[in-house]
Amino acid sequence: MFAVTTLVAVSFSIGSFRIGDAEKPFLYSVLLWIILVFSALSGLSRSFVKEEEAGTIDVLKLSARPQAVFLGKLFFNLTLLGALELIIVPLFILLMNYKIASPGLFAAMIISGGFGLGAGTTIVAAMIAQASARGALFSVLSFPLLLPLMITAIKGCERATDGMNTAGWPEVRIAVAYTIIMIIMSLFLFPLIWEE
Amino acid sequence: MISKLLLTLWMTAMIVAAFLYAGAATGFPGQTSRILFFHVPQAWIATLSFLLSMIASCMYLAKRSVKADHLALSAAELGLLFCILATATGSIFAKATWGSFWNWDPRETSIVILLMIYGAYFALRSAVPDPEKRRVFAAVYSILAFVTVPFLVFVVPRITASLHPEDTMNPAKPGMDPKTLKVFLGSLLAYTGLFVWMLRLKIRLLRVEGMREPEFVDTAMGQEEKLGPPSE
Amino acid sequence: MYSLKVSKICKHYAGTLLFKDISFELRPGEVLAITGWNGSGKSTLLRIIAGLVRPSLGKVEMFMEDEPIPKESRRKFLGMVAPALALYDELTALENMEFFCKVRGIAYDRENSLKIMERVGLTENATKTCRKYSSGMKQRLKLVQALLHNPPLLLLDEPGCNLDSNGMKIVEDIILEHRQLGMTVIASNEKREVAYADRAINLSE
Repeated sequence: MFAVTTLVAVSFSIGSFRIGDAEKPFLYSVLLWIILVFSALSGLSRSFVKEEEAGTIDVLKLSARPQAVFLGKLFFNLTLLGALELIIVPLFILLMNYKIASPGLFAAMIISGGFGLGAGTTIVAAMIAQASARGALFSVLSFPLLLPLMITAIKGCERATDGMNTAGWPEVRIAVAYTIIMIIMSLFLFPLIWEE
Repeated sequence: MISKLLLTLWMTAMIVAAFLYAGAATGFPGQTSRILFFHVPQAWIATLSFLLSMIASCMYLAKRSVKADHLALSAAELGLLFCILATATGSIFAKATWGSFWNWDPRETSIVILLMIYGAYFALRSAVPDPEKRRVFAAVYSILAFVTVPFLVFVVPRITASLHPEDTMNPAKPGMDPKTLKVFLGSLLAYTGLFVWMLRLKIRLLRVEGMREPEFVDTAMGQEEKLGPPSE
Repeated sequence: MYSLKVSKICKHYAGTLLFKDISFELRPGEVLAITGWNGSGKSTLLRIIAGLVRPSLGKVEMFMEDEPIPKESRRKFLGMVAPALALYDELTALENMEFFCKVRGIAYDRENSLKIMERVGLTENATKTCRKYSSGMKQRLKLVQALLHNPPLLLLDEPGCNLDSNGMKIVEDIILEHRQLGMTVIASNEKREVAYADRAINLSE
């Protein structure tokens, strides 16, 4: 809901404003990712917070291997993100008259960026579920970790939009590397957070 | 006591020398280059402090020794302090040299990101009531944050370079004339001394505060003899 | 042959000492009761044994034929019932059990689960979602969950909570039956619940 509302607001206010074509790739890329990231931040902590609030977290700790719990939550978050992207990105393109020169790179960037978002935030969600002041804290903690990914994704989408220099898909590779490293580190560190 | 006195004298000497002894570097408007004597050591210490804190965090997670956490926390606090100083002095320099307080060039961006990481670290620490969990979580976060740093090193120059074609501000290895070099190194030494002194003070403070709690604070209490299976 | 050894457990929380120097050993066939005032730390001690909470000092070890069981695997050998535990409201009882079986790495046997549910008197409600359960029914389902994987160690924190006298009888039966082959630790102040204990530790002393 947050995503759609923001999207509409953005489109409405920017739509009437004449943005020079040279600026468009970058600006649109930024806006899209801001919407995606903030929507993600508002929703991704749910999986852990819900368990904590329902009290099911203890039985889970007693029943499942920590890595299994993490992977399960990660998978859930990635699915959520996938759905988010599936809805938001086409809407964005439509509402903003977004013309993309290389759709392949664009799609790859969106997908790998989404994976990165999930990878970087799942373990943070696990931490804040056990802390106080959850909502704000989740954003505060996730943001610094997500910055490299965000910057890469924005650049990647910008490149896809103006179609120049698209060889090699460097940003996508960076995003994939980020995802892999974050998942590995999280798998390693998650048990420490999970077991007291 | 002696070392504190020495440190104070040395620091004062450095500050004086920064203004009077070394000449102003050419290529920079007016006397602004002098800020390098202060700004660069601050930035270096802010970054190295983060590294130190992260290493201490790893040690804590490996052994659960509270001392390691004291080190991690103190390094983080001082790192934050120096980071703020570095950002401020950098900003002053930017205004004097380029006319605006903030420019988002790679160095500035990285120092801000470091600032954000520190901020998040302390936000996390203050949000977890249970002391042991707090230490574990903080340690985990600082390791995660550290892992993203290599990405930043790769990524930030790319994007900001394309945004802002102007040169970065780092005259890191200009041909420094000997006087400048001496003062610079001396200042670096002074700041490092300051850092180490403050670090030790903070750790001592934490240890004394920790003594208020009952002795059993963490489980890794040195040598415990291995207990065998129940005797028959 | 499993055994449990607890050595010199101390726990302090938020600056106050809950308990210290708790030590005991447990063998199959033994039932230990942990008693004490509300807030004396009974639940915490049980959670420490389960591995959910770290003790401030001391250690908990479980052995199988004198081989120590690593802490991460301990959960496979114990079943726990506690007021703080909750099961998934959105799932039915059977679905909950299926989930726990899968996640614990044991084959889901519908027949077996139904048999255990029969033992606690939940058969008619096996396919209802847990949201519709009364607190007594939820308590019984917690018992089912604890027994699913046939653990050698049972940790019961106020097992009779929310149960009527029928339910209490079921709990007593479970304790008696488990006592033959396994170890049991019961944390409670209820006379009926600790009646079968061989020995007791009082945390309020």
